[in-house]
Order: sequence, then C-alpha cells, then structure tokens
Amino acid sequence: MAQTQTVTDTGIAELILLWREESATGMESIVALEMATPCTAAVGSTFADPADTAIHHTDSGLELAAIDTVGGDTTNTAGDTITFDHIFTATATKNVAGIHACNNDDDVAFVECCFNAVIAMEDTDTLTIDGEVVVDQA
Amino acid sequence: MESSINRGSFRATVEAEHRDGYCENCEAALEKEFYMDGERKRVRMICPKCGGQGRLIAKSVSIQAPSPPQCVRIKCLVRFASAIAFCGLLTIYHRKRFTYAERNRHKKIPQKYRTGENSPTNIRQAIFAIIKLTIIGGTRQWHKLKLSQTPG
Repeated sequence: MAQTQTVTDTGIAELILLWREESATGMESIVALEMATPCTAAVGSTFADPADTAIHHTDSGLELAAIDTVGGDTTNTAGDTITFDHIFTATATKNVAGIHACNNDDDVAFVECCFNAVIAMEDTDTLTIDGEVVVDQA
Repeated sequence: MESSINRGSFRATVEAEHRDGYCENCEAALEKEFYMDGERKRVRMICPKCGGQGRLIAKSVSIQAPSPPQCVRIKCLVRFASAIAFCGLLTIYHRKRFTYAERNRHKKIPQKYRTGENSPTNIRQAIFAIIKLTIIGGTRQWHKLKLSQTPG
C-alpha cells in the first residue's frame, strides 16, 4: 500500500467551528497507530476509530503526547500552511503503521497518515515526523 | 451575474524518518534538540558529542496524485493518463523500497533504498527499479527459506 495521508472530516468540522466562533480546538497532540499490516488513511477516520483496524499506541514512547513543534508557513498564499514536527522514541519493540495529529482535548484527529509499510521500531529507535497541511491549494 | 471562485482542497503531507537511537559516528546516545530552520522551529535527535545523527533505517515519502487535466484534448488526456501510471508505479517502488529497507535494517544495502532519493523519474525507470527490488528482495527471502530448510 502506498503511503496515504489526509485531513479528516472531523478536522474540517473543527475548523468550521472556529469560523463560526464556536468553541474550537487547535493541533497539539500526536499519537502513533498500531497495526500489524499497513493501513489506509481515510477522511472518515476519527480519534476514536482510526483507519482500518488500527488502534492508538498507549505506551512505549509511542503513546499520545504533545507535538514537539507546531508552526505556520506559506506555500501558495501567505499563512496557508500549518507545519508540525515530532520525534517518537520507542522504549520497546513495537509496530507503527501511521500517526494521528490531534487536538488539545484529545478527542479530534485532524490528520491521519498511514506509512508505506509498517515500521518495526526497536528499543531506542526514533521516528521523526515532518508534517504539513496546506489549506490554500490555489 | 453570479460567480464563485473555487479553491483547491486540503493537502496533507507527512514524511517519517526511522533511525536508530545511537550516533552513526561515535555510538553515543542521541538527545533531542530544538533548532530554527529559517522561521520554522524544528526538532531533531543529535549526538551531544559530535553532532551526528542516528543510523537511517528508512524514510517514507509522500506522493501526491497528479492534478486533473485542464483541457479535454487527446494530448492532455494522454499526458494525464501517463502521469497517473507513473504515480502508481512510483508508489509501488516506494512501498517496496521502504519494506526492503525495514527488513534489512542491520544489513548494508544501497543508501538510496533507505533515503528514497534518486527515485525513478519516468515510467521506464520505475518499471526497472520495481523489477530490481522484486528480484533482490525475493532473492534474500528465497535464500533465508533455503537456509531454514537445510537439515542440521
């Protein structure tokens, strides 16, 4: 399976909440997805129900954590891009099939990514995530 | 007259770099370091002694689908079909390359399979690269099978 990544429906709904001046949340957390085979990212995935049969890692350095850096950037028009970087450091042998970039309440997954293949992490291995979302794709 | 300007969709891009936790130069344990890349604050794992990084195991690549054709002439459609075919082949190449690099994390393999750089740039190159990866990946598996079946 190719690497797939997408902004989820719930991520867009959260953005619309902001435009409506309703209570909305920002990108702040990240978690690795656990699955024995590669998953396929889907727009309908949610924080509680990731792609395919993937589940969130809950330990070993791959669990939900604050994203190391979140920033803004420009791709086509000024300020149309959000960037995020994070490093997971594994403390045990685990499979990682993808990631969820989530909100600060930890109940909305903004971005879901499923890697080209399952990453076999061993103790002390690091996984550096370099992500961006371009909203204005003129 | 009513009119609206349609904007494109959201585009997410994610790259993941899998490295081991020890410096490739001096074997020291790595530490997390924040740094500025232009105006962007970034993070990396770096050796506190020599500034080296961990050994790269595999790096994923995000492939975006080609833009839809802007005209309906045969030439445009053929060009679009060709771009779609190349995108599909490139996807297969990177999947095979990534899997091969992960399976051979402790072995010496060409660095291009770990980094994803120097990837095919046209359909012909992609086909040859996929065949090559299938052969070398398959040969290793066949060799392992043969060894495991050897009595004693």
